[in-house]
Amino acid sequence: MCKDYVYDKDIEQIAKEEQGEALKLQASTSKEVSHQQCSVPGLGEKFPTWETTKPELELLGHNPRRRRITSSFTIGLRGLINLGNTCFMNCIVQALTHTPILRDFFLSDRHRCEMPSPELCLVCEMSSLFRELYSGNPSPHVPYKLLHLVWIHARHLAGYRQQDAHEFLIAALDVLHRHCKGDDVGKAANNPNHCNCIIDQIFTGGLQSDVTCQACHGVSTTIDPCWDISLDLPGSCTSFWPMSPGRESSVNGESHIPGITTLTDCLRRFTRPEHLGSSAKIKCGSCQSYQESTKQLTMNKLPVVACFHFKRFEHSAKQRRKITTYISFPLELDMTPFMASSKESRMNGQLQLPTNSGNNENKYSLFAVVNHQGTLESGHYTSFIRHHKDQWFKCDDAVITKASIKDVLDSEGYLLFYHKQVLEHESEKVKEMNTQAY
Amino acid sequence: MKMEEMSLSGLDNSKLEAIAQEIYADLVEDSCLGFCFEVHRAVKCGYFFLDDTDPDSMKDFEIVDQPGLDIFGQVFNQWKSKECVCPNCSRSIAASRFAPHLEKCLGMGRNSSRIANRRIANSNNMNKSESDQEDNDDINDNDWSYGSEKKGLWYLPFQNPNSPRRSKSLKHKNGKWGWSNGNYNNSTGISYETLGPEELRSLLTTQCGVISEHTKKMCTRSLRCPQHTDEQRRTVRIYFLGPSAVLPEVESSLDNDSFDMTDSQALISRLQWDGSSDLSPSDSGSSKTSENQGWGLGTNSSESRKTKKKKSHLSLVGTASSLGSNKKKKPKPPAPPTPSIYDDIN
Repeated sequence: MCKDYVYDKDIEQIAKEEQGEALKLQASTSKEVSHQQCSVPGLGEKFPTWETTKPELELLGHNPRRRRITSSFTIGLRGLINLGNTCFMNCIVQALTHTPILRDFFLSDRHRCEMPSPELCLVCEMSSLFRELYSGNPSPHVPYKLLHLVWIHARHLAGYRQQDAHEFLIAALDVLHRHCKGDDVGKAANNPNHCNCIIDQIFTGGLQSDVTCQACHGVSTTIDPCWDISLDLPGSCTSFWPMSPGRESSVNGESHIPGITTLTDCLRRFTRPEHLGSSAKIKCGSCQSYQESTKQLTMNKLPVVACFHFKRFEHSAKQRRKITTYISFPLELDMTPFMASSKESRMNGQLQLPTNSGNNENKYSLFAVVNHQGTLESGHYTSFIRHHKDQWFKCDDAVITKASIKDVLDSEGYLLFYHKQVLEHESEKVKEMNTQAY
Repeated sequence: MKMEEMSLSGLDNSKLEAIAQEIYADLVEDSCLGFCFEVHRAVKCGYFFLDDTDPDSMKDFEIVDQPGLDIFGQVFNQWKSKECVCPNCSRSIAASRFAPHLEKCLGMGRNSSRIANRRIANSNNMNKSESDQEDNDDINDNDWSYGSEKKGLWYLPFQNPNSPRRSKSLKHKNGKWGWSNGNYNNSTGISYETLGPEELRSLLTTQCGVISEHTKKMCTRSLRCPQHTDEQRRTVRIYFLGPSAVLPEVESSLDNDSFDMTDSQALISRLQWDGSSDLSPSDSGSSKTSENQGWGLGTNSSESRKTKKKKSHLSLVGTASSLGSNKKKKPKPPAPPTPSIYDDIN
């Protein structure tokens, strides 16, 4: 009679049950349940938000100390102890644990272990790592279990010596990918194109290689899965500049000073049509003859997290050295010009700027940078990671300090991690724009 | 408003404007109403207060941005004492030395295969004596450098890690260090490094205590455990508790330097190793004196014996080879507390 809204427990309980039933039906009919939906893959149940019960409310009333995570909180940041030349591993762990989509997956406990024994599962260990690093504990974590597991499962990395962070990243992703499917010996021929484990959903992109026969102009296309893009640098023994630098205005908002190479320059070089010489003639499928050809690499499918690797360590016949050339990289990156679909406009040498900047599909934000100081023989890895949208922190093993965006962008750069700004929900019917990463 | 009956192109601007406004107003109203319902429900069900925070708690996690401190307000470089437990051998290792330890523990290091091969060779040649001496010397050197790197393995407070201290003949008989009989007993064992002297003492009165060379743990079987010999048990007790240590049910004051020694040789060896010497019967024998001189700095005169105690410890290598042993042994006389030798040196 007071005409106010009331909330009746029993009716709500009934409503909840009915909703659950409805979701179960829905889950069983849709084929691929993406990680972005509320339902847990395989369980068909909605994750409900926490509703307090009366005794809980009383208890909470008696304990008034409460905190809410704000952007000035340390929660989510934690140092990692160096176990003996393991700085390369620490940097990769910092980058992975601050990958927003991976963080969301593990912190909502989405991993269901498929391995015969969970103590040997690297994904379970990752899950535990996330819990440790987001615990708010100020004392640095000792990742000894991770090291042990990686050495067991990636034998080529085992051993007390300085190692390459990029190599570690690829090996770790490989083991994680295998363990997601419960394959601990790498026997199964996993086709990454058809795998939908979390690693493949996030990191796997499709690199398209087009070989054009010079005689008949027939094109042979292959698409290979890739987890990263390795870029040659100026000053390496591979020739770098087929085109003059400074010709293009800054495509991606990079500070374009003549003489400074940018990430975009490297990507342009990576995706340029390359004339394979007369010593590398390929048999053309359509005209059935050996002809000279041109080859071009472009991105067919963009991964959610794109990792760029600057090939700074040169192991050529003449010399082994580190290329320390500074490469300028942007905070925001648009990958549209490097897509397979943009090839046509590039054929005539023009690099098409995306006219409608409203199209956010291929836009990326930088969230982690791994740097190497020192020489090829001996050096130290540190990383910068992005936290709470606009704050950057430098991670030097056990010590985390605040850093400015300028510090990050001025650093040399060895591995760059970019995250898609807008995630897409893939269904058979339509592509919807879903969540914002930042 | 019935949209399906009109085409938008037929309407003039003001009508379009009105439609747009209405749609906009609907959207704003819906979102506001949604928010109001949330708050209303929170108040009605009594959990609205949960959103409040208290300032003290909020301060605990504030990011610190000062030179010389990390974001938690901690000073750099204070994490040397962090430790972890090795998943392979279950021993406690300093975190910053974990990687090199794990490499050897898993048998992957440069030296590990050499050590392993020698171990196999040694256990196969258990019953030979002198011919193995050179090999054992090499192994000693190998593992002592190995040990000094690791420091956690062989480092005990009253031991000098740089001196070979175990009896070679013990090694001959029982494998590498005299602790193991070749049967690896991983499941039942105690990590002796973490035990204090009192704990060790009490433990050794009830358990076998022989240290397995493979797992570096003490055997937890009974005092009469068939896997180890009494000699081994005696050696462990001397090792941990000093020369006065005896096996609980066995009364023994014999030096267990070598199994092959006769009694007279045993007597001589005991005299020889005795640095402090006031208690040893060596005073009475001139023949002993000559033997003692072979000791180097050790015991040339009775007056200087005590002062030479410390030096003798380090100069024992290579002497007394006639007894088939060149390892430092703890002297046997019951009265003086000989672990003090080691304490002083360290």
